[in-house]
Amino acid sequence: MSETVTLTIDGKEVTVPKGTSIIEATEILGVEIPRFCWHPGLSVAGVCRFCMVKIEGMPKLQIACNTTCTEGMKVITVSDEVKDAHKWALEFHLINHPLDCPICDQAGECELQNYYMKVGRYSSQMDEDKVLKPKALDVGDNLVLDTERCILCSRCVRFEDEVTKTSSLGIFNRGDHSIVGTFPNRKIQHNYSYNIVDICPVGAFTAKDFRFKCRVWFLNETKTICPGCSTGCNITLYEHKNQRQYYRLKPRKNMEVNGHWMCDEGRTMYEHLNATNRLAVPTIAGKHLSWNLLGKEFKQKLENVKGNADKVALVLTPQYTNEEYENILTSLKTILGNLPKIYVWRDSAEKIDDFDGILMRGDRNSNSKGLSQILEKHAAQAVTLSGDFSPLASSSANLVLVFGPEIEKSYSQFANEVTRFAELSNVIYFGTTLNPITKKFSLAIPTKVFAEKNGTFINFKGIPQKLKANPLVFPAMKGIEDIFAEIKA
Amino acid sequence: MGYINVSKDPEKSLKNGYLSTTLLGLGQTISVFAKQLFKLEESVTIQWPEVEYKYSERFKGAHFLTKRPDGQVRCTACFLCATNCPAQCINIVAGQSSDNGIEKYPVRFEIDILRCVFCGFCEEACPVDAIRLGPEYSMAGLPEQKWVYTKDYLLNRSEIKKQVGAKQVSKKEENTKDASVMSSLPNIHKSSGSGH
Repeated sequence: MSETVTLTIDGKEVTVPKGTSIIEATEILGVEIPRFCWHPGLSVAGVCRFCMVKIEGMPKLQIACNTTCTEGMKVITVSDEVKDAHKWALEFHLINHPLDCPICDQAGECELQNYYMKVGRYSSQMDEDKVLKPKALDVGDNLVLDTERCILCSRCVRFEDEVTKTSSLGIFNRGDHSIVGTFPNRKIQHNYSYNIVDICPVGAFTAKDFRFKCRVWFLNETKTICPGCSTGCNITLYEHKNQRQYYRLKPRKNMEVNGHWMCDEGRTMYEHLNATNRLAVPTIAGKHLSWNLLGKEFKQKLENVKGNADKVALVLTPQYTNEEYENILTSLKTILGNLPKIYVWRDSAEKIDDFDGILMRGDRNSNSKGLSQILEKHAAQAVTLSGDFSPLASSSANLVLVFGPEIEKSYSQFANEVTRFAELSNVIYFGTTLNPITKKFSLAIPTKVFAEKNGTFINFKGIPQKLKANPLVFPAMKGIEDIFAEIKA
Repeated sequence: MGYINVSKDPEKSLKNGYLSTTLLGLGQTISVFAKQLFKLEESVTIQWPEVEYKYSERFKGAHFLTKRPDGQVRCTACFLCATNCPAQCINIVAGQSSDNGIEKYPVRFEIDILRCVFCGFCEEACPVDAIRLGPEYSMAGLPEQKWVYTKDYLLNRSEIKKQVGAKQVSKKEENTKDASVMSSLPNIHKSSGSGH
């Protein structure tokens, strides 16, 4: 692929590998050509006829997605002729599109709406009634299909054929009666179904999880990393602008990590962020403790074992950021004089090397690699607790610090295993989820969730990726770094 | 900036006819009072609350929600009123309707009337003519919870029913499909279908 061609797009010269389509070349230049059916992660279909461009020397306009760049080609993307083509192509798409915008979840991020405002702005000349088609069909565990809203771009069909290879969708009938749908007795039941909602340029596919919950213009976006597994997909997290409530997350393009997609399992990673499921205030022996007094109590507990670092056990889980591990280890070293005994608590049923062939990995911890790197850096020997807790029980530690997992469902036996810690005496537990068991610890401290942290996760490939913090759900909350800074002062 | 210098010297005021103008004004008051007392002239003041003032049809008072001809709530929970509301006093929770032609309906629709500024933007934003500002202007009351108008209350305004009356049923063209249309839709899973 060393061969390249040089072409001119709107007067700008660009050199691309041979075989690149015009639309890909314009993406490199940052020029946006209106498109519906073309998606960078899927094959070319060329069915929407929307991405028209003028190529010098050709009598008619050509579609940019299915025309290959050739040497010396001159492409014009902005001219009256091209604008006119976009405008009328859009009117054809909207002929049978229902006026569902008020009840359609896609409204606000709909490509039809956006392109109408950008390139449309015509008055409809259609005098006939719209063709009616089935609405609100249940096509799978996570999806609702509205065939009337569909513009037949076939992105979903190609996604099923090419990415998940399940091929359960097709386009049926002819002409303006064409509808997209599942084959008889087939449902969309794979782990990547929400991607179909993302790639659908209109509101034909809507997510059951998000349906009717919130209008998209009320949501703020934060670019962060999925904590669901060691792949570390790049995501955009959507939080309500006025209420501290998370509604959904979507994948963000990163060709090195996740491409354009993410799994449905990862899409549930917003649920534990909302206040209803969160551990809100610290508890001391089951009673609420204010954040102001926490530092004093925590310091007291650590002072009691000062100098006896080998009588302290530190249990870590691979779901914290590198910065937090670093902070925990250096702070404990300063306070206790030496590093305590370190245990790494992992799920007993996990299959680390599992891979579903697309994105999801068996290691359901976001930062396994980061943890091992930090431990290596501090030359610390860690004992793995995986179903067997006897090494910890036999250590007869006076103080046990447990940094519990943020995503408890990634531990298949979480409810059982966490009681094993509660059986020990003098346990300080750090966790995020509201759990009756937290009352049994001598001190339970809520920690920030991934959405509230600035930090680094290292994914399975060793790529460090940054998290970006949102405002805290509980404004009074202190992070691990704040608590350690307070007791060191 | 210019300003008028008003003298506060009482002697000067007397000299300028303070007493005479006061008596003149008093005479006016008494004469109007007498005329209205003996019904020689129509009174401008009305005896509220025994007599209600009749505002224009377009008066923007407390809200009500309109109904479809079959009595169902017309609102489709599109949140446009809540988005447009400058006082952020509208709170909607949307739900899935059992009727596929309607799809979305408000499970809860609440207006915090104490925050409302009666601008009428909600009425203007509504694409389905579901919310209107009614004729009610007197909204005095005591208990705290009365001030958040619930969906039930907005749909059945008993105290202003007479005034609202037929206005509560919106005649706006229905966007839903009747059964005959639904049955003629192409069924993609029917094996015996003739096709097109």
